[in-house]
Amino acid sequence: MGESLLDKLGWKKYLGQETASYTGETILARDIRRYALAIDDLNPIYFDENAAKEGKYGGLTAPLSYVSWAIGVPGGEKSVKELGEDGLATFVGVPEFPNTWELGWVRGGEELEFFKPVYAGDKVTVTGNIVDMSEKDGKSGKMIFVTSLFTYKNQKGEILAKHRVTMIATPRKES
Amino acid sequence: MNNQVFYEDVVEGQELPPFEKRVTTVNILMYLSTVWLMDRIHFDHPFATQRRGLPNVVAPGNMAVDYYTQFLTEWAGEKGNLRKVSIQFRSFMLPGDTLTCRGKIIRKYIEEGKGCLELELSLKNPSAINCVPGKAVVELPMR
Repeated sequence: MGESLLDKLGWKKYLGQETASYTGETILARDIRRYALAIDDLNPIYFDENAAKEGKYGGLTAPLSYVSWAIGVPGGEKSVKELGEDGLATFVGVPEFPNTWELGWVRGGEELEFFKPVYAGDKVTVTGNIVDMSEKDGKSGKMIFVTSLFTYKNQKGEILAKHRVTMIATPRKES
Repeated sequence: MNNQVFYEDVVEGQELPPFEKRVTTVNILMYLSTVWLMDRIHFDHPFATQRRGLPNVVAPGNMAVDYYTQFLTEWAGEKGNLRKVSIQFRSFMLPGDTLTCRGKIIRKYIEEGKGCLELELSLKNPSAINCVPGKAVVELPMR
């Protein structure tokens, strides 16, 4: 195994640390409609208030998977000048530890657990925690896995969803 | 509405009817604008191909979660619930691709009086590459 990269980076102390807490703006029927159009899910409960009232949730809701976008991407709204050349404003799931960007990051996977849908008119709050950190020796060197758990709640404090995001970090190659 | 499927009607090993989604550059543009993502690999063809070595612009990986969500909520019906979806990013979804979502019931169990299914998921592109394998838990009503 050799020397632990996690130890060297000194990141283990951040396990369990809260990394995000943010409340978004009110979700509009328009946000839901446009999202449903983008993913080509034309179920009338996402478009038509009356159909939605008759439907499973008794009101206009977003597709369940919308929840992870319900607060926007915190830090994502930047001017063109402030954006990186690749257009990337931020990387959800990459923690703000010291030396984070000395490593290269890719997305590993994610898990969404649903409890309630987002309704038009809701205001969603997210809180994030680092819940797991591990490392292993991959084919081309060390790999670090960092898993964050984001919990989404509505304005009544009801849990809408839990979202686990695993990011994989590898030391950058010298070029 | 489709006929409601019940917990008693399904068996372990059973496959769900496949579900197809076609992703286009217009879908990608709609998605990027609505969630406000400006990552150039999703819309700037010269950047994606020449600078990043990708075969084309690529769909945001999260769209796979949306496709699985639609696939499973429609299958589970009004009285069923999609409880959980997990995915791993393996390969890019490209515009013009028709993506086929499949699900296989790998376990049936009752939890707190509710009928639950564990599913193994695949999302394959036209070259039969499983771009975003996944798993899910779906709850079905009991008779």
